[in-house]
Amino acid sequence: MKPIALVRHASARHLLAAGLVTSLALATGCTKSEDDSGTQSPASRQDDAGQVVASPGTGSGPTCAIDAYGGQKLDLRGATVGFSQSEKEANPFRIAETASIKAEAHKRGVKLLTANAQSQFSKQISDVQDLIAKGANLLVVAPLNSDGWEPVLRAAAARHIPIVTIDRKINATACKDYVSFIGSDFAEQGRRAADQMIEATGGKGEIAILLGAAGNNVTTERTRGFEDRIKEKAPGLKVVFRQTGEFAREKGQSVTENLIQSKPGITGIYAENDEMGLGAVNALKGAGKKPGDVKIVTIDGTRNAVQGIVDGWIYGVIESNPRFGPLAFQTLDAFTKGEKVGQDIVIKDSSYAKANAQSDLGKAY
Amino acid sequence: MTELTLTGASLDRARLLRLFQDYGVYAGVVVLLLFNFAFTPHFVSAENFRTQAVQVAPVLIVALGMALAIGTEGVDLSVGSVMALSTSLLSLYLGYGPWIAALTAVLGGVVVGVANGALIAFVGVQPIVATLALMVAGRGLALVLLPQLKDVRDPGMARLGSGAVLGVPYLVLIAAALALVVAFVVRRTTFGRQVLAIGDSRAAARLAGLPVRRVLVVVYVCGGALAAVAGVLATARLAASDPTSLGTLMELSAITAVVVGGTPLSGGRVRVGGTVAGAVLIQLLTTTLIKHDLPPSWTQIAQAVVIVLAVYAARERGRR
Repeated sequence: MKPIALVRHASARHLLAAGLVTSLALATGCTKSEDDSGTQSPASRQDDAGQVVASPGTGSGPTCAIDAYGGQKLDLRGATVGFSQSEKEANPFRIAETASIKAEAHKRGVKLLTANAQSQFSKQISDVQDLIAKGANLLVVAPLNSDGWEPVLRAAAARHIPIVTIDRKINATACKDYVSFIGSDFAEQGRRAADQMIEATGGKGEIAILLGAAGNNVTTERTRGFEDRIKEKAPGLKVVFRQTGEFAREKGQSVTENLIQSKPGITGIYAENDEMGLGAVNALKGAGKKPGDVKIVTIDGTRNAVQGIVDGWIYGVIESNPRFGPLAFQTLDAFTKGEKVGQDIVIKDSSYAKANAQSDLGKAY
Repeated sequence: MTELTLTGASLDRARLLRLFQDYGVYAGVVVLLLFNFAFTPHFVSAENFRTQAVQVAPVLIVALGMALAIGTEGVDLSVGSVMALSTSLLSLYLGYGPWIAALTAVLGGVVVGVANGALIAFVGVQPIVATLALMVAGRGLALVLLPQLKDVRDPGMARLGSGAVLGVPYLVLIAAALALVVAFVVRRTTFGRQVLAIGDSRAAARLAGLPVRRVLVVVYVCGGALAAVAGVLATARLAASDPTSLGTLMELSAITAVVVGGTPLSGGRVRVGGTVAGAVLIQLLTTTLIKHDLPPSWTQIAQAVVIVLAVYAARERGRR
């Protein structure tokens, strides 16, 4: 920057300064958002619903014990647990997930170190290495990617640190590179959504699928589970429309607007997450439809979607449970005591429909 | 003799390309409309035209600002982030009522525009770099202000998002009015001529005594303000503030609309009508593929073909 230019254009500096001041005032000053009465903060809600294991630690499937993995028994109380979160806590799922881990650590009196990779995989790798360096005896990891974990696994193996991964799996050998994976069965979520759709439509008519982001295993499995179950149980139900809403409300709305105009006879919409389903509700409202005209089934279990059932716009919601805290610590506790734990632990996802939406609204995240 | 016919042929070719660059986008819109009239069920209905117009409105408004920036041989990559910032500010200030909240949101866009313009005009940073910086910072700030999606229940915003006058939605009216204003500014005002002169040659414009720096700042301020308006309208339509995904890849949609509309990236020319048609063309392309339930990846491939055709036409012309 040339000083002469600055002097000559002092007015520009004033302009910039004024701009900066204004932006600061905007950012920090006298904000006043819309009244949000009736909604609790997610953190205060998270304790309401605990977690049930679909396949308990010593159930069917391969198990893992500390002798096979290497390392020493220890008491979870007094141990330090490192938690690496993959994405910024900017959506209800991540908020509830982190809150659940923190609450459970607090409940058990475990020292918890946390890190957030902000959706950058290289940061997650260094986050986990930092957690190890800071003295974590045990690790809970919500992986951003499945691949690329070798450096971390090597560092952890050298110190015999047990790792439990939650919500996404990593490509490595269970009970050698890591202890267990705890997560939802996405295909099963799709199958359960199909059951609700069949119930809602009576197994007849034309339905649409709002797909998630392309090239994502959540999308693939939720689609596969849904379509397989429809084919098997309700051959009268035809999937006539499959378009991506990229897991976002805006895209879900735009796509549904086009859908209801080109296929006015549509009887049901399966949205692979709540946000797209809420976008579809916007589109139906905009087109002058009444609640229940088109049956919507979604997956996730966020508060807004469950409220949608209460309001009559959404038929049913299959939960994708983010509350990994109790199960993760239960697994680590059993493992460090020398007990066998499952290598693949499936978390139980509940579901919401007209019958329980009002009473279970507090359990939605 | 041979030489004569050759010259004649190449002249014809150049003229064809010029015609293609100038009117190709309109032809494209007509072709897509005819195709849909013939083959898409329920396409010809007032409801459908309203939907298409409402969906294209935010992209079009952003593209108008982008056309001005490209007219000065610049570009504005920060528009998508400005939309996110605008939706965050809107949500934070809705307690004061929709008007104050919307004004604050637009002011946020103006501030980003001032920062863009100052970096480009006074510090001498390349537009692509300066606006890239603001693109990253803007999204970050938006998420600091509002970390996650928040519903907008304000009745005034709801009216803005879904209301209409004589069957024409507010969103469409606002977009059309802004397009007319920008077209007037480009064709009939001194400022418009200064924009084009700067795009033709910044050095020559400066030698001619034009207030180059001031004009550049104003251009990016307009771009920021227009993007912020688009952000407000998109928020009203969605009935929610979603700073995480609102406006993502909007800069690319806007640049596509401008370039397909025949505004050259080399500056010196702004085609407002072409930009409107460009935005409509992209919208129709997407809609056609969705309505026929073709795989989403096809939309991207089809858009790429349109862009390559448009840039090819512009390149041939530049060579001549």
